[in-house]
Amino acid sequence: MSKEAKSSSLIQIDGLTKVFFTDEVETHALSGIHLSIARGEYLAMSGPSGCGKSTLLSILGLLDTPSGGQYNLNGLPVANLTFAERSRIRNQEIGFIFQSFNLIGDLTVFENVELPLTYRSGMAASERKDRVARALDRVGMAHRTRHYPAQLSGGQQQRVAVARALAGSPSILLADEPTGNLDSKNGEAVMTLLAELHAEGSTICMVTHDVRFAAHAQRQVHLFDGKIVAEGELQQLLAELEQPPVRIAR
Amino acid sequence: MESALKDLRYAFRQLLRSPGFALTAILTLALGIGANTAIFSLLDQALLRTLPVRDPGSLVVLEDTGRSWKGSMSDHGGDQAAYFSYPMYKDLRDKNQALDGLLATSPTNLGFLRNGSSKLVSAEVVTGNYFTVLGVGPALGRVLTQADDLQKNGSPVAVLSYDFWKNFLGADPGVVGSNVSINGQPFQIVGVAAQGFHSAIWGENPNVFVPMCMVPTVLPSVDDRLTARFNRWLNIVGRLKPGHSRAQAEASIDPLWHALRAEELKSLGTVSPRFTKDFLGSRMRLLPGARGFSYQRENFQKPLLAVMGMSLLVLIIASVNVASLLLVRSASRGREFSLRFALGAEASRVAQQLLIEGLLIGVAGGAVGMLFAPLAIRALVSRLAGDQTSVAFTTEIDLRLLAFNFGIALGVSVLFSLAPILQLRKPDLTLALRQQSGTSTGGMLRLRRVVVCLQIGLSVVLLVAAGLFARTMQQLRAVDVGFNTAHLATFHIDATLAGYKNEQIPAIYQRVIEMLAALPGTQGVAATNDAELAGTSGGGSVEVTGYVAPPDTSIIIEAEGVNTGYFAALQVPLLTGRLFTDGDTVGHPLVAVVNESFAKTFCGGVQTCVGKISDAPIPDVSNNRVKVEIVGVVRDAKHLGVRDPVKPTLFAPLRQYTVPSDIYLYVRTTGDPAQELTVIRKAMHQLDPALALDNLRTMDTQIDDNLQNDRMIALLAIAFGALATLLAGVGLYGVLAYSIAQRTREIGLRIALGSSRLAVVRLVLTELMRLAALGIVIAIPLAFGLSKLVQSQLFGVSAADPSILLSVTALISLVALVAALIPARRAASVQPIIALRTE
Ligand SMILES: Nc1ncnc2c1ncn2[C@@H]1O[C@H](COP(=O)(O)OP(=O)(O)OP(=O)(O)O)[C@@H](O)[C@H]1O
Ligand SMILES: [Mg+2]
Repeated sequence: MSKEAKSSSLIQIDGLTKVFFTDEVETHALSGIHLSIARGEYLAMSGPSGCGKSTLLSILGLLDTPSGGQYNLNGLPVANLTFAERSRIRNQEIGFIFQSFNLIGDLTVFENVELPLTYRSGMAASERKDRVARALDRVGMAHRTRHYPAQLSGGQQQRVAVARALAGSPSILLADEPTGNLDSKNGEAVMTLLAELHAEGSTICMVTHDVRFAAHAQRQVHLFDGKIVAEGELQQLLAELEQPPVRIAR
Repeated sequence: MESALKDLRYAFRQLLRSPGFALTAILTLALGIGANTAIFSLLDQALLRTLPVRDPGSLVVLEDTGRSWKGSMSDHGGDQAAYFSYPMYKDLRDKNQALDGLLATSPTNLGFLRNGSSKLVSAEVVTGNYFTVLGVGPALGRVLTQADDLQKNGSPVAVLSYDFWKNFLGADPGVVGSNVSINGQPFQIVGVAAQGFHSAIWGENPNVFVPMCMVPTVLPSVDDRLTARFNRWLNIVGRLKPGHSRAQAEASIDPLWHALRAEELKSLGTVSPRFTKDFLGSRMRLLPGARGFSYQRENFQKPLLAVMGMSLLVLIIASVNVASLLLVRSASRGREFSLRFALGAEASRVAQQLLIEGLLIGVAGGAVGMLFAPLAIRALVSRLAGDQTSVAFTTEIDLRLLAFNFGIALGVSVLFSLAPILQLRKPDLTLALRQQSGTSTGGMLRLRRVVVCLQIGLSVVLLVAAGLFARTMQQLRAVDVGFNTAHLATFHIDATLAGYKNEQIPAIYQRVIEMLAALPGTQGVAATNDAELAGTSGGGSVEVTGYVAPPDTSIIIEAEGVNTGYFAALQVPLLTGRLFTDGDTVGHPLVAVVNESFAKTFCGGVQTCVGKISDAPIPDVSNNRVKVEIVGVVRDAKHLGVRDPVKPTLFAPLRQYTVPSDIYLYVRTTGDPAQELTVIRKAMHQLDPALALDNLRTMDTQIDDNLQNDRMIALLAIAFGALATLLAGVGLYGVLAYSIAQRTREIGLRIALGSSRLAVVRLVLTELMRLAALGIVIAIPLAFGLSKLVQSQLFGVSAADPSILLSVTALISLVALVAALIPARRAASVQPIIALRTE
């Protein structure tokens, strides 16, 4: 990777590792990831269950810290920031879309979307309302602002979640299996929405194991056992998995 | 039925499986139920129980509504209208048509000597028909009869109380027929009264009953007790004729009373028209007597009711606490209930199961509470009774108590089982199917919030009560009574109980006073016939030269006979005129010193008082009606009690009158009066070992004893307040911890979306503050309203005391904050990554 590419990319990751220690068992969830995501790019990440997709995404989203390696976000090394600094960056630079929507049941649609903005100091209430309205309008949920999540369908809830991710105008949208809890029709609708957002200039990094949805993305990255592998390699590895295992994994 | 048994078995297993929960719930309830059982026991004995006599419902207590009188009053306390003279009693007994029987009685103390050991015992002087009218028989020998009460000093016999016979005479069956000495006179014991019977006077617990005709022997100091119509010292209890109502009897006896009054008025000579009007305006009232006459019940009623109210609040808080525990538990059992519903259980079946579990906890709590109730009763009784050891409270557990305890356990069980049942009302099954809204908290939490609000509110009410009563106690302690109570030792002696004759009494008392004054470390000695700040008072109406009473004003004053050095020893300053001198004795002009209130009320001011002539309504004055000259005015000092206002008071020199049989002495010491007590005891023993010192103590101790009830309420209120606050703190912690656990995912999400840890802590605290604020806002008007109810028990503090309300708010907020500490920390340490997980 060239120096120029590094500086122009939004996210630059080198030799990233993540090890979990539980009950004296070491789990190498990520072992040496190199990845860069450019501004305006739409990236899909796929791989078998347990290969480390969510772990990688959580590190990208500053929800978790890596065990080793470099991570630059917007040119800034973020691996060793304090909790408060990370909170601020999460709030301003990153928009999350979760598989299980994660709307707060006691808050209305409007309040849910407004939530990340309320954590931003110095934003006028009028601007906040304005941004929420625009985000909800963008996902086609402007007519349901007073409803509670429980009163919405799954697809509608996920659209509200997308609006929440959008409202703060983040540098990047991170989505972990955004269609995982949706039927194919609603899933398709959310995918279309993401594609439109990308077309409007958003940077998106999405985890999915569904090849059909991965196809929406510009670029596809395949993970296997904590490493990024080429697509052909993945197919081969997956084919091997179909066979009775020769050796015990890890 | 079978399903109930199955549920019971299941409930047992459930409780055994979570012993921590079971223990907490049961102990919490035991505390609440036990306290209530104990207090109910006292309340029951004080206010509800009837006398153990034949047909108590037909007993009546006589009371007249007059408010003007002459002569002496009984010093047993209570409403003076409930006392009558012996001649009045005889007329009422012999001439009335309305009552079947009419007994008279008066409590007193006697010197009781048997087998060489002497003892001061409580006694009751009763008319011969006492036991017959009440329908109380003997346990041994016989009771007194009319035949024992025919001839003055003619029947030296006595009946013992069952308790006295059992506890002090070792239940000796040979006691009947034995001879004893009472006040130095030979008496024969003829029997023991039935077990369980104490007295026709509630709260009295006499050891010995002696017939009325023996009054000259047993109450030798006043020789006109059986003849003077104005000397009112007896309580009268009557029995309605079968089929007569109280109103009928009242209507029938009132004309008789009126006729008796008219006749008595004639014997009084010239009196003012105002006096006449008051005197004849008196009416006879018959009060229900089933629970006996009582001058003490009033004293116990208010404090007991206040304490009962507080303990009920504690019980409610305990129930609410258990309710919130059950809510947490049923939250963690949500899946179990969903499954039961999914398997087709009806809501009523699940409710039944919850109710049975609740009942199991409630009854277990009640049973444990029953174990510690007797301890609490004993502690309360010793507080309530103080040094009046005669108060007849029992700590025994009876059926009524068991029933109350069981009833209340059942009641609260239903109360706290209700919370989890309520939430079963509309089980939302679809919610369980929809896995997506993982951060929804649901109605359960709302119910628990209500519960916490309730707890905080109730705690605030109790804390306000605690504050008010504690402040009352503080204020009462700080009251300036008008004389110096420090460095003062006091005791009471009755020379007649040591065998002195009436004519010897002035001399022995003079010797006592002189001897005490000569002790090293003594600055002065005061003697009076009416104890200071002991809740007793004597007096009557006065007429003062130049004073015309405006209509409807009281002309009742307090009158006290005192020694020459009284004012100097108590340090009551003289405002004008002179104090008593050694020259103010029998044979010299009768003089009096009055207090400032007297001077202002009857003389138009302090300066215009000296030289005026007044009536002297002094107890035990043997002359009919004396006029005295006011020679001095002293500053006001409290007499009846610390709480009570100063009344117009007239002091007369004891040495100008027949000296009473018993006097109260006050020794001003230079050093610590407690140290001086032994010196006094020794010196008195040297003077005459037969003179028994009654209630030898420091004045400060006596004042404290006098504040017994106030202190008991204050202590209990503080204890209940603390308990309630503790319970509320625990409840609050439970709700917050639970709510944080429920909201872990939500909190993780908030942090993922950029919330700072501080904002998360603020989230927890905001919830808490909202709950606390709501609780407080609801509670304060409630507390205000309730404290109006106990206003009469308060002193020097208003029900709406802002400093108390503020401190209570601060305290409960502090407790809430402490309770929130751990949940808030837990919330702040939630990892944002949780948001990514799917359950
Ligand atoms: N907190 C943790 N502690 C221990 N091990 C963990 C932890 N989180 C993830 N792992 C392990 O790390 C590996 C990668 O997990 P990750 O959740 O990233 O998988 P994934 O690719 O997202 O799988 P899926 O497609 O099923 O969501 C797994 O073996 C997992 O067991
Ligand atoms: Mg995953």
